[in-house]
Amino acid sequence: MKTWFGSYISAFHAGPVEATVLAVEDHITIGYRREDGTTQTVRWNLIDITAVFDKSQQATIITSDGEKDCSLLINGKDATDFILQMQAEQQKPWHKKDKTKEWLRNLLIFLAVAGILMATYFLLVPWLSGKLASNVSIKTEEEFGNAVFDALDLSQQQDGEATVVLNDFFKEMEIPTGYNVRITVVNGDVVNAFALPGGNIVVYSALLKELKTYPELAALLSHEFTHINNRHTTRSVFRQLGSRIFLSLLFGRFGNVTAILADQADRFKSLKYSRKLEKEADIGGLSLLQERKIDHEGFVGLFHHLKASVPGSAMPEFFESHPDINSRIDYIREASKNSLAEDNPQLRAIFEKIKK
Amino acid sequence: MIITTTAIVEGRPVREYLGVINAQSIIGANIFKDFLGGLRDVFGGRSKTYEKVIEQAKDDALRELAEKAQSLGANAIVGVDLDFETVGGSGSMLMVIASGTAVKL
Repeated sequence: MKTWFGSYISAFHAGPVEATVLAVEDHITIGYRREDGTTQTVRWNLIDITAVFDKSQQATIITSDGEKDCSLLINGKDATDFILQMQAEQQKPWHKKDKTKEWLRNLLIFLAVAGILMATYFLLVPWLSGKLASNVSIKTEEEFGNAVFDALDLSQQQDGEATVVLNDFFKEMEIPTGYNVRITVVNGDVVNAFALPGGNIVVYSALLKELKTYPELAALLSHEFTHINNRHTTRSVFRQLGSRIFLSLLFGRFGNVTAILADQADRFKSLKYSRKLEKEADIGGLSLLQERKIDHEGFVGLFHHLKASVPGSAMPEFFESHPDINSRIDYIREASKNSLAEDNPQLRAIFEKIKK
Repeated sequence: MIITTTAIVEGRPVREYLGVINAQSIIGANIFKDFLGGLRDVFGGRSKTYEKVIEQAKDDALRELAEKAQSLGANAIVGVDLDFETVGGSGSMLMVIASGTAVKL
């Protein structure tokens, strides 16, 4: 914005009147008082005016196409320079507004930016998180996993005898790994098991009681082991962290409706990723069983026990962290069509010890 | 139009006081500027994106103030004061309030 003092000359006034002039991007306004004391403001669009520097008067004379009988006189050349500069600026293509084109351009910009943000959220952030997660050392994972294990405070509920036997069972499976896998059996009614980063596997006694054959136990342990070996928890943590940082940068501190919606959408994305990792653990675990010629039906039996433990669960898969049990059975059977199974007396013997 | 934070304009006595005027400009920084500003918050340093937004809001408020003064027949605004605030649910919008006294020198 620029302001000047000037003289406004109009056919309606006896002579020049003192005026204040404000110039902004696309127009100037001239304010003055009439002879009767009332104030008047005149607006001239920049594209309609002509500004000429009159050397004899050393002043800028401004006239408007719309008001041919009027003129404005401002001392000095400053007003001429400014108005010519602003008029040149107004000639630039981005100032020539075509409503339809402008709307279309804004829509395209919006779509392009939305596309870039979506690509960042769905592709770049997960890729970067994965890269960072893969650089975490096993030692760091172990420290993290142990910290979580200690925080869970499961030592009071631990079944020492079953823990020893289950660790023997896993050793007998002879799965090569850089992780120090430690299995802990915990007394509890929950039909569940979970793996922590770095090598801790927790199996609840209720689930152990449900298992009928050693391939079912082998399936359970190979599934949980795949979670550890493929760094699923670490990858999930980094991914969630990356997503959260990105969303909080985009939507602030989750205080408004948009942020809450984004938060919920992120949860669904995390659940989808969780289901993907569960499937990866199933397929990875199945490979371990196939390599050792352990019956793949162990997985099927295990899934049936899990299904029986949550009767009447009618939640759509979309809301679940694990794939639907029936589809898990389907893809396991599909992936093990030509599998060979042999009896493993050592594993069977250890399993029978557990059942006793 | 003279716009000044001082109460008087040196050498030019006030002939007429035309009243207290104010103008405000509330401006959103837009989602991308918020994103870039958020990065600055994480990594530190001056946020040019927010600085430009504040500058624009200040210019808009002063322009509106000058237009109000002009419509009153003033040729100066004295005692101009600028206040800067954040508004909106998460404080993501910036508000500049400009106030002053429209006078005829």
